Amino acid sequence: MPSSQTPSIAGYALDPTTVRPPLSDAEILRISPDELRETLVRLREEGCSMLLDVGGVDYLARVPRFDVVYHLLALPTAPASVAEVGTPRRVRVLVGVPGDHPHVPSVSDLWRSADWAEREVYDLFGIVFDGHPDLRRIQLPDEWEGHPLRKDYPLRGPAREATPRPSFALKSNVPAGAPPSGKVAEALRQQIARARGEEQ
Amino acid sequence: MNVDVPPARSLDVVERDANTMTLSLGPQHPSTHGVLQVVVEVSGEVIERADMEIGYLHTGIEKSAENLFWTQAQTVLERMDYLNPIGNAFCYVLAAEKLLGITDKIPPRAQQIRVLGAELTRISSHCVWLGTHGIDLGAISAFWYAFNIREKILDVIESFGGARMHPNYLRIGGVNGDVPDGLLEQLDALIKEFPGRMGELRKLLQNNPIWRDRTIDIGTISAEEAVGWSLTGPTLRGSGIAYDVRKAFPYSGYETYEFDVPVRNEGDAYARFLVRLDEMDESMRIVQQARARLAEPGPVVIDDPKIVAPPKETIALSMEALIHHFKIVSEGFRVPPGDVYQSIEGPRGEMGYYLVSNGNNRPYRVRTRPPSLYNLQCLKQIAIGHLIADMVVMIGSLDPVFGEVDR
Repeated sequence: MPSSQTPSIAGYALDPTTVRPPLSDAEILRISPDELRETLVRLREEGCSMLLDVGGVDYLARVPRFDVVYHLLALPTAPASVAEVGTPRRVRVLVGVPGDHPHVPSVSDLWRSADWAEREVYDLFGIVFDGHPDLRRIQLPDEWEGHPLRKDYPLRGPAREATPRPSFALKSNVPAGAPPSGKVAEALRQQIARARGEEQ
Repeated sequence: MNVDVPPARSLDVVERDANTMTLSLGPQHPSTHGVLQVVVEVSGEVIERADMEIGYLHTGIEKSAENLFWTQAQTVLERMDYLNPIGNAFCYVLAAEKLLGITDKIPPRAQQIRVLGAELTRISSHCVWLGTHGIDLGAISAFWYAFNIREKILDVIESFGGARMHPNYLRIGGVNGDVPDGLLEQLDALIKEFPGRMGELRKLLQNNPIWRDRTIDIGTISAEEAVGWSLTGPTLRGSGIAYDVRKAFPYSGYETYEFDVPVRNEGDAYARFLVRLDEMDESMRIVQQARARLAEPGPVVIDDPKIVAPPKETIALSMEALIHHFKIVSEGFRVPPGDVYQSIEGPRGEMGYYLVSNGNNRPYRVRTRPPSLYNLQCLKQIAIGHLIADMVVMIGSLDPVFGEVDR
């Protein structure tokens, strides 16, 4: 039974980043993979010299399915004091990547640090960075199957998957509105049906 | 005269100069500071190419955190950078507080305790770095001196956090309970003893000719290259750029503390060593100021029973308190949807969290920006042209923590 704390999920389950005015922690740009290189080259020319991080997010039911998130920071490229560094500009670039064709151009030629960062996103999300010189798995063994940080990747391995888990334990992994599934839900459903049958 | 041309070699045989040799360092070697495999191509003893294999400690912490309550996730995230547990938790709770919109409501005393914890952890983390870096270079005694300081700091952390290594003491909305009686005296003793101990360490290493010979001009990286490799923290400041998150994007009242940001322009292993030593002194200055502020009593958590459970004593007297307790323990609390990036200055550099909430009681996505991962990557460049014996110096001077690199 929904409590008073339960928010209405309908509106923002697909993309929580768009539901409220963004917190003023950075400038935010939302672009498509085609515009990526052009945008990052422009930002780099404007002084965003450091690629702080490349991360991924899987929104599963949203179109496009993935976000690749680039965090940029405008630092001087020569020795500088605290006053000269000041409060550098932060930019966050969100790139929507379709689930059926997860390809993004690589920026490893612009920033050397993008090498491992892109390999990690490839490893854990299965997003391919076109033009990356050495796109291999980085955290997991080469023969690993699947990409664990995708939301449809099971939390437990096959050996333990047989253990029935209460459906609430997996709540955050299930897209909103999906009917409960699994052994516990099935048992409950049968129990309810039996109870109703006896009453009637 | 016709000579049969031998068939071309298959592509999987790497064409190599007959004078070079490929060597593998690690992954099971104490000087690799964890589990790191470095494959180097050497010509004689000179490194011509270096590549690294990481991921031996990958435990899927980000995935685990996405399937725990907001408060539970903090417990696993603390284990990432295991030398900086309070710092990990610090960054995470700040990010979650931003999403909840309660950043302004955190009581000042809680912020002071967090700053105290973060700075003490920074010193103890640098002590581990200095001790192990010393061992790598054959300076065994430095290890005992550094761990002497670390033990004293861990005693202080234990007395207010409840545990030496992973106190899990910070909470979204404040800290878990006020500091105990007697902490201020304990801190006073530490503050009094610290300069002498640091003096011993400096005397041992700073002007030691062997230490200088082995670290000066080793693993040099220029400011421009450092930015290109996304280095942060002491590794970036050793190359001359005074970027410190505490100064550039102050959090938890760091703008009210007086401290300097040590910088060196040389960019070599010795410069990074000096920057870290100076940072330990600066951290102690912040600890002193935080200790002075802690003399004033005050609340240590926000007054919001939906986020922080009311004191345990009240549950026998108040039904609401019991309900809030039950709710927070059994289903956590919900965080409004949105995404946020928050970073702090960890001992190794800019430690950041990119959190996404979909309005549920568990984080939808927890992305960590691990400073060690980026710092370590530049080894591919700085190792070239150095002797193979200097590899351990360079790895040590980057101070990687593999719990964080592999997560």
